[in-house]
Amino acid sequence: MKHIRQLLLLSLLVFDNSCITPFIPKTNEDKELLVVEGLITDQPGANTIKLSKSLPLGTRNVATPVKGCTVTISDDLNNTFSLSETVAGTYVTDPSIFQGVVGRFYTLHININASDNNHNYESDPIEMKPVPPIDSIYYQKVTIQEGSGNSASQEGCQVYLNTHDPTNHCKFYRWEFTETWEFILPYTVPNKICWISDNSDMINIKNTSIIAEDKIEQYPLNFISNETDRLRVKYSILVNQYSLNEDEYLYWEKLQNLSEQVGGLYDMIPSAVPSNVYCLDDPNEKVQGYFSVSARSSKRIFIRDHFAGVVNPYTDAVCIADTIFGGAAIPNLNIWVWVIIDQPTPPPGFQVITRTKGCYDCTVRGTNVPPDFWTENN
Amino acid sequence: MFMKLKIHILILLFFLSINLGAQEKYGISSQYKDISFTDFVKKVESILPVKFYYIDDWVKDLKLGDYPDCTTLQCVMDNLLRGTSLYYYIDEFGNVVITNNYAVKVSNTGVEKNNKFLPPSDFSGSAENQHLAGNASVEIGNPAEKNNPGNVTLSGYITNKDTKEAVSGVTVFIKKLSIGTISNEYGYYTMTVPRGIHVVQFSFIGMREKTINLNLNGAGEMNVEMNSVLIPLKETVVSAQKSVTLQRFEVGAEKINITSFKLLPTSMGESDIIKSVLLIPGVQSVGEGSAGFNVRGGSADQNLILLYGAPIYNSSHFFGFFSAVNSDIIKDVTLYKGGIPSRYGGRISSVLDIGTKEGNRNEFAGSAGISPITAHVSLEGPIIKDTLTYILTARTTYSNWIFGLINNPELHNSRASFYDLNGKITYDLNKNNKIDFSAYTSHDSFRFNSDTVYSYNNNIFVLKWRHFFTSRFFSSLSINNSSYNYNISSQAIPNEAFVLSHKVNSTGFKADFNWFLGRNEINFGLDLTRYDVLPGSYLPNNDSSLVIPRTIEKERAWEGALYVEDKFILTDFLSVNVGMRMSSYYSFGPQSVMIYNPDYSKSTSTITDTLNFKSGGVTSKYAGLEPRVSLNFRISDKNSFKINYNRTRQYLHLLSNSTSIAPTDTWKLCDYYLKPQIGDQVAIGFYELLFKNNFEASAELYYKTIKNMVDFKGGTNLIMDDNIEKDIVNVKGKAYGLELVLKKTEGKIRYSIGYTYSRTFIKSLGTFSDEIINSGKWFPANFDKPNDLVVTFNYLFSRRISFSSNYTYSTGRPITYPIATYDISDKLLVTYSDRNEYRIPDYSRLDLSLKVSGNLKSHKIAHPNWTFSIYNLLGRENVYSIYFKNQGEFVNGYKLSVFGRAIPSVTFSFDF
Repeated sequence: MKHIRQLLLLSLLVFDNSCITPFIPKTNEDKELLVVEGLITDQPGANTIKLSKSLPLGTRNVATPVKGCTVTISDDLNNTFSLSETVAGTYVTDPSIFQGVVGRFYTLHININASDNNHNYESDPIEMKPVPPIDSIYYQKVTIQEGSGNSASQEGCQVYLNTHDPTNHCKFYRWEFTETWEFILPYTVPNKICWISDNSDMINIKNTSIIAEDKIEQYPLNFISNETDRLRVKYSILVNQYSLNEDEYLYWEKLQNLSEQVGGLYDMIPSAVPSNVYCLDDPNEKVQGYFSVSARSSKRIFIRDHFAGVVNPYTDAVCIADTIFGGAAIPNLNIWVWVIIDQPTPPPGFQVITRTKGCYDCTVRGTNVPPDFWTENN
Repeated sequence: MFMKLKIHILILLFFLSINLGAQEKYGISSQYKDISFTDFVKKVESILPVKFYYIDDWVKDLKLGDYPDCTTLQCVMDNLLRGTSLYYYIDEFGNVVITNNYAVKVSNTGVEKNNKFLPPSDFSGSAENQHLAGNASVEIGNPAEKNNPGNVTLSGYITNKDTKEAVSGVTVFIKKLSIGTISNEYGYYTMTVPRGIHVVQFSFIGMREKTINLNLNGAGEMNVEMNSVLIPLKETVVSAQKSVTLQRFEVGAEKINITSFKLLPTSMGESDIIKSVLLIPGVQSVGEGSAGFNVRGGSADQNLILLYGAPIYNSSHFFGFFSAVNSDIIKDVTLYKGGIPSRYGGRISSVLDIGTKEGNRNEFAGSAGISPITAHVSLEGPIIKDTLTYILTARTTYSNWIFGLINNPELHNSRASFYDLNGKITYDLNKNNKIDFSAYTSHDSFRFNSDTVYSYNNNIFVLKWRHFFTSRFFSSLSINNSSYNYNISSQAIPNEAFVLSHKVNSTGFKADFNWFLGRNEINFGLDLTRYDVLPGSYLPNNDSSLVIPRTIEKERAWEGALYVEDKFILTDFLSVNVGMRMSSYYSFGPQSVMIYNPDYSKSTSTITDTLNFKSGGVTSKYAGLEPRVSLNFRISDKNSFKINYNRTRQYLHLLSNSTSIAPTDTWKLCDYYLKPQIGDQVAIGFYELLFKNNFEASAELYYKTIKNMVDFKGGTNLIMDDNIEKDIVNVKGKAYGLELVLKKTEGKIRYSIGYTYSRTFIKSLGTFSDEIINSGKWFPANFDKPNDLVVTFNYLFSRRISFSSNYTYSTGRPITYPIATYDISDKLLVTYSDRNEYRIPDYSRLDLSLKVSGNLKSHKIAHPNWTFSIYNLLGRENVYSIYFKNQGEFVNGYKLSVFGRAIPSVTFSFDF
């Protein structure tokens, strides 16, 4: 469908009469749906189930957690594991008694003990499929032509992934990644070097059942544009590879089909993608989210190559030096501006040079504590 | 009362016809100006030995005029009754008999009872042979029979004088009797008429009306040649339509002539048949320039679009911005919104029958033209004069050249183009046998930034043999093949290089028989179609590709149908069309069918078994009757009332889960799980001619139900789906509507106003949660647009210059909005409102066009035509689509207007 849309765009450009304007629909709904975000893996450590309420369109508040629930996970050997609520709405397994095992089937049970909603929820029993290790993660310098009009082509770095499963068990893959990069301010200030981490926000899935070998080559996992400063100093990406069963693969595929763009004439008609968690008391209640049961393998790489044309977000054009002459109070000091030089000069008494705070203090964007995997050697 | 009066008159006629003899002249002076007929009668009866016989009702509005030159009663009567439906007869005893509709005929010789009848054709007269004051006068039938009692049958063929093609849809009308008929696809007409002198009008849009003074003595054949006009300026031209509406049996049949649709404003300088069809009340589309159209609440795959009698599977180029059929080959187009004749089957909502031109039989001719997007040329002429003719048309875009000029690297490497070709050879073996061979091909291709290449093709071949057993019994046998396929290929990632294909192919045999038997027109025949569908294949596209060649099992099926239909005139007041179509369908193997656990919604994980059908094994069979009934009540010669019921069955589905159909949607045959779609429609219509027949008003009301439609589980990808049944949601539909039309069809200024109120609803019938849409309640269909207004206006300045404009307004189509968001591992996800709970803004557009013909002299070598159009004159930013993009942080809404400003275009063409 994505291509159909491109084609449509193409034919519209031939006519060149089209115009696109932002549009905010007026809806009269305030449905709050239970959102289940759960993932259990075969790796050691706590597994987390998050319960929250959905948000109205266009708002970007923190989701309301659903507190005080009884959450348990059972397996096909009749074991039941309780989860405890650590943070409001976040329920975790006890790592000393629970670790996922490949080949087992797991079921999630939720009981909401709220006075207005005492509902029970349950997932399908889901098998934990094995996952092969990631063979390699590598990158290439690429040029991507994007957008229309006269926008220049972008240079950047494309990160690829290769993997294969000689046992042919894992046919459906999903990846999540976390990017971490170092950045340095060009000024001599106390918080000069910081690190930022960012999680993937795209759905990355692949089905190898249509390919002869259970082998994925050159899967384009992430494109790092030169318009970010990720590649200026040093960059690292940690990729988690998850095995999926077919139902979960289809769930993510449907979400991918729908979440990119909907509403257009040639876009798929949207409708809710059903969760694998159901309300036992009210079959009409729609639950959002998914209870994922996956084996996990991980790999991290570092990139400290030189990339031409990486944007510098701390140029003088961005970090405009402003001069405030004596007498007047500096408004919003410590919020928008940061004093760089406080130099008394005659006349009119003293001069203050300011820049925006982010240009002077790297902790505005990141953390000044280096991640533990960040060493000089890699 | 009407009937009784007629019988009396007939009795009177026989009586009078025996009393032969010369009429005396009754001299009168003309001093009766402005007095009523009744007073006139009193005066004349007081001074002359005459006695008048008439019915008061006939003459109540009759006033005498000033007839200074008249010295006889006959002269006064001639002048007085001219232009009315009244006749008079004065016998030798001074009885003046006024008759309505029927003239009294007097023969000078007695009836020779034993006279051997000559074959009717020996008395056929060609209207061209006898010219009389502009109109022709023709005598038909054995003169000896002229005093025989009863009605006789008049029939014949109507042809275009220039091209010798049969002209279908011509209204043959006798005004005084208010009876008429319409010529069929062979140009043949037949009607039952009383003997006597009649004025017969032959009229058709785009043709010069022909009036023939007919002296009908007995049954006979009258073949008529009509002249086409370059621009339909004669005010009589459109009078065809009004009689058509009254005469046709069907509620909801519309015929568009090429000349009239070429007058309509164009969007890109192209006359476009589908866009003209969209102006008909009850026909809608999901958006301007979207592929497909919806008729009375039917989905886009429920329209049977016939070219040369074969179905076209994809009716558009460029996503619906252009019709797939070049207007150069089109002669006329008939759309059946309801009252679908029994000879058509296979789709449930409508039939769009595209009538095509035949080559010119007399001389070589052609036309060529350019518009901003396309160029087209057409050539036609005889190979053997009057016997073997050809016509070829071609059209292509030059948009690829435009792409090359665009200074954008992405578009510079993109391509989008189409072409189509039509050809037809017609061979008249002899008077009774005609063979024609027609071919059509269309091709579209797209390439976006040298990556993925899309192409799709339609191909149609038809061989048809028409045989005339007698002048009233015809047959038409044809074999057709129609196919549609698309290919999507990419080599962007070498080891995943692929080519994805889909193909539908059908081969049909059709036998149709037409038999005119007295007051009956009987049609019967059979249809046999073999379908082969390749649902999808996904193959490696180069040697290094690791793609596993995968082909979804082919589908094969036979569809057969027998039909019989009788159109008959029960009384002068009621005509009936009763038809029955019996269709059956078999799909057969080799095929493997998955069996699912009935306790769960179908999915790959609920498959419990596989049924393997061997080659030839029947995997599913369906059959059913499709009754079609129409009644036409003629309340008077100015209005009629029609009622109609029809059932239709469809064994083919187009799988589409987007709002508009797309060229990459796949066709699917009914199978073990997928049942045929069944449509039932009841429609009533009321038609009236107003203000001296200058206006035509109609109101049609319909109710329709559709069973076994398909919808899909949320987010399903339909391409390369092995077991589509697991993703299908069974839905049913209902639709109802009221269509009101007022047309002024005569004069230099013509206009029409059409308003439609219609609703279309869908209801899901599944049992499992993912099969239920909107909690199983009725919800509006994607093309449910309740209010729809179409106004067209034409001003014919002169024979060379015409102006036209149209305005359309409709309620915005329904849309499903995202209403809530949530996060799953930092991914912003969306939930949606109930399906089609909201609507996009209303649509409104005004177009203008001015057509100038350079020269109308028929013997000039080339006739240039210029068309200047402005599309969307008001520059309204109509919403083409509203879409939502997930941009990581927010879900943002956008409004896209395709034709967001006034778009002028100029088209130049010339005929030679």
